[in-house]
Amino acid sequence: MTQTKKTLVPGLTEAEAIQRAQAGDSESFAALYGLHKRRVYSLCLRMTGNTAEAEDLTQEAFLQLYRKIATFRGESAFSTWLHRLSVNVVLMHLRKRGLPEVSLEETMEPQQEDAPRKDIGARDNVLAGSIDRVNLERAIESLPPGYRIIFVLHDIEGYEHNEIAEMMGCSIGNSKSQLHKARMKLRDLLKLSRAEKAARR
Amino acid sequence: MTCAEYQEALPYIIDSGGDKEHQAHLAGCSVCSDLVADLKYIADQAKLLVPMEEPPKRVWNGIQRSLEREGLVSRSAGNRGRLLKFRRAGTWMISL
Repeated sequence: MTQTKKTLVPGLTEAEAIQRAQAGDSESFAALYGLHKRRVYSLCLRMTGNTAEAEDLTQEAFLQLYRKIATFRGESAFSTWLHRLSVNVVLMHLRKRGLPEVSLEETMEPQQEDAPRKDIGARDNVLAGSIDRVNLERAIESLPPGYRIIFVLHDIEGYEHNEIAEMMGCSIGNSKSQLHKARMKLRDLLKLSRAEKAARR
Repeated sequence: MTCAEYQEALPYIIDSGGDKEHQAHLAGCSVCSDLVADLKYIADQAKLLVPMEEPPKRVWNGIQRSLEREGLVSRSAGNRGRLLKFRRAGTWMISL
């Protein structure tokens, strides 16, 4: 659906709401909040794994939107522009807490508790067809923060490695390595969850 | 090529498939091919995760309060009707 065809209320398209919000119309800003709140909040929640932080960051993202909407030029889709703004809000918050940079270091040793194991040896049943949304969301939530951020940005939100590298201040190779570790860890968690479920039957 | 060597390279070749040696190993190794299948399946399932969480009403209330504090939305007597309209409109828009 293109930006101009999204209808927020009868007679008001998203494009019109953006123009009016840029001119200071509060109702149009409220309409844009209603349209985009779920995606922004879900992004914040997945990246932080914490409800209270996600609420604060969602609020901050929309406040920044209100302050900066006049600078939106339409070079990208509005949702893309807002999404990038929201990601930056979360990353700035996480940098202040000091978590992501430490977790992204390539010096992380394989022996560390949360590092995934290599898969060499006997076959195991493949995962295909056995993952449901709830289990996957829970597994993502329990990832170490550095792994979770990269996984959310790449596999859920669709950012490329070069974009992630720029946002996170790391190398493309580092981004690929951390994504791989995140997926491997998720694989371990999901297999464990499946085995526990089977044992309870 | 051993499984250890293949899996060492996997983070960097999972999308491209790697060179002929990587591809040959994958074609002949059920352990590594199962691993790649799992990792791609996880990535595919992640793409299907839609934003499901609804922020609570207090998030919107907080936005309104902050805008008032910053003077971006007026709370003066003359504009009270406009502010109330903004709130009602905000609520109405949220419920859409």
